Amino acid sequence: SGELYCSLPNPRNVHFESINMKNVLHWSAPEGTGDGVLYKVKYAVYGVGKWIRKPECRNINRTWCDLSSETSDYEEQYYASVKAFLNGSCSDWMETTRFNPLTDTKIDPPMVSVSSTDKSISIILTVPEKWKRSPEEESVSLLQVYPGLQYNVSVLNKKTKKRWFFSISNNTLVVPWLEPGTTYCVSAQIHVTTPLLDSSFSKEHCIATLKDK
Amino acid sequence: GACRVSMSMTEIRAGFTAIKANIQSRDPIRTLSILSHPHSLHKVKSSDRCCITHHLFTFYVDKVFKHCRTEDSFVNRKISSIANSFLSARRKLGQCREQNNCVCGEESTEKFKQILANYEGLNVTSAAMKSLGELDILLDWMEKSR
Repeated sequence: SGELYCSLPNPRNVHFESINMKNVLHWSAPEGTGDGVLYKVKYAVYGVGKWIRKPECRNINRTWCDLSSETSDYEEQYYASVKAFLNGSCSDWMETTRFNPLTDTKIDPPMVSVSSTDKSISIILTVPEKWKRSPEEESVSLLQVYPGLQYNVSVLNKKTKKRWFFSISNNTLVVPWLEPGTTYCVSAQIHVTTPLLDSSFSKEHCIATLKDK
Repeated sequence: GACRVSMSMTEIRAGFTAIKANIQSRDPIRTLSILSHPHSLHKVKSSDRCCITHHLFTFYVDKVFKHCRTEDSFVNRKISSIANSFLSARRKLGQCREQNNCVCGEESTEKFKQILANYEGLNVTSAAMKSLGELDILLDWMEKSR
């Protein structure tokens, strides 16, 4: 059947939202259209000549579509596109800008675990994993994706409110010469210099040093 | 020994990121890539990396930057800053090549010929703008293979 005459307003702000390379296409409904709008989605690998339909996102009424599986090769770049339908009419295809999973993803903060002695605390940081299709699939740490990755660590003495910052490359840190019987709170951030990617700081993990023997 | 050329990837990345959307929006052709198809840079053998890098620096200096003038002075400034970084890196790599084994294997020579063929398949301005829009593909490959 021939293409419908497309006079429906277009979907707006079609873009990828990516966290740890979980790449989800988002858009806003066409202006002035109430309920009942349906959408279909297609995507393309940049440099390859064909658009590929996403069956799971055909005739959907939600305004997002998970394309993580289709865009999981971060050595490629991608485009995605959305078309709206309502009461027999349709919109144009509306495209994203070129999406580069490697540079356009956001990274979650590292997981922080802390332990203490009377005069020191030990911090172990774990980088989040890259998105994967299923729990059975082999895990890939974002450390493998961004080998030059570093950590910024903040340590706060809750009593004196004194704060130290450390920039480290490996994932463990021991902070010595601390006060016994005192609570210290640790927060950490991932920092990738190039491409420039910074996670937010993790929530604080507090621990008390042991009391003096 | 290997050729190791220092260049400020962070500066180049920042410069490119600032103009990426502008430059890529000037390239309407989704179905053709200069650098990544049909062969991917990521498939280049490590022994050929030095030579391909030199070829690509020369390609960008001689065939890309000079054909990418825009009506936007901010974009033009960023382009010339990136171009200067490439120019100095190419000079260093060239000197290094003369003293070192920076030889392209047959496979990589074919790869670079394909890049030139992709480039020559378009008019100069479109090819140059598309190549500039693919700078992150080159930077991603260079960083990954550091």
